[in-house]
Amino acid sequence: MSRSFNPDLDLKVSRIIKAPRAAVWSAWTDPESFAQWWIPAPTLCKVVAMELRPGGAFVTQMSDNGGPFVPHLDACFLAVDEGTRIVFTNCLTGGWRPAEQAFITAIITLKDHPQGTDYEAYAMHRNIADRNKHEELGFHDGWGTVTAQLAKLVE
Amino acid sequence: MDQYQEQMTGLFQALADPTRRAVLGRLGRGPASIGELAKPFAMALPSFMKHIHLLEESGWIHTRKEGRVRICALEKKQFATVETWLSDQRALWEARTDRLERFVMTKQKKEKSK
Repeated sequence: MSRSFNPDLDLKVSRIIKAPRAAVWSAWTDPESFAQWWIPAPTLCKVVAMELRPGGAFVTQMSDNGGPFVPHLDACFLAVDEGTRIVFTNCLTGGWRPAEQAFITAIITLKDHPQGTDYEAYAMHRNIADRNKHEELGFHDGWGTVTAQLAKLVE
Repeated sequence: MDQYQEQMTGLFQALADPTRRAVLGRLGRGPASIGELAKPFAMALPSFMKHIHLLEESGWIHTRKEGRVRICALEKKQFATVETWLSDQRALWEARTDRLERFVMTKQKKEKSK
């Protein structure tokens, strides 16, 4: 896959989780488990749909203070590679239907690591701005500072 | 779309065009009149004004009249807005990963003690 990190719009969170890859995969793909960590407590999360195949719906809802469940994520899986990778986007909803609001494509990868699992969440956010804007805005002080801060995200 | 997301979309849309980026780049060195800003571009003034309006609406710049001349200046706080937005997203994913890790570790422990 060819993709280049855009520090304005992309972020990458990596973590070595000291547990076998199968355990991490199960925490992600078992709806009951997933609901327990996807949204921070005390907000409750409900997995409405988790159709783990390309085109499958991925829908979650949340509830605050015992209130009704309201939409949280309405997305579509783009790729699901058993045990190793999950790609989803909210540019589409289940069954490849174009979404009203597009915001993110996320790529979750799991790799074996001597200490357990090398977990990575890579999120790409919507934008039309091209990547050259840095060079063109580079001499601007405020932008330079922002760029420096954003560059740390690349690690 | 909530107001914040709308604002962010506007900010990024404004950056999507090379003329507008060049204008922001120029304004990074200090305020300038519309005439001065338009000079490097081979385009009619009405077309150029569209870019200025878009930058102003999105919040990247503000303009003020000085006599018969309109002066544009950079709205510095928007740079911070873009940065805050991305760091918010990052914080969200960091926290999410923390919770996943904790969930998996707790479950592992429970299974071992069975």
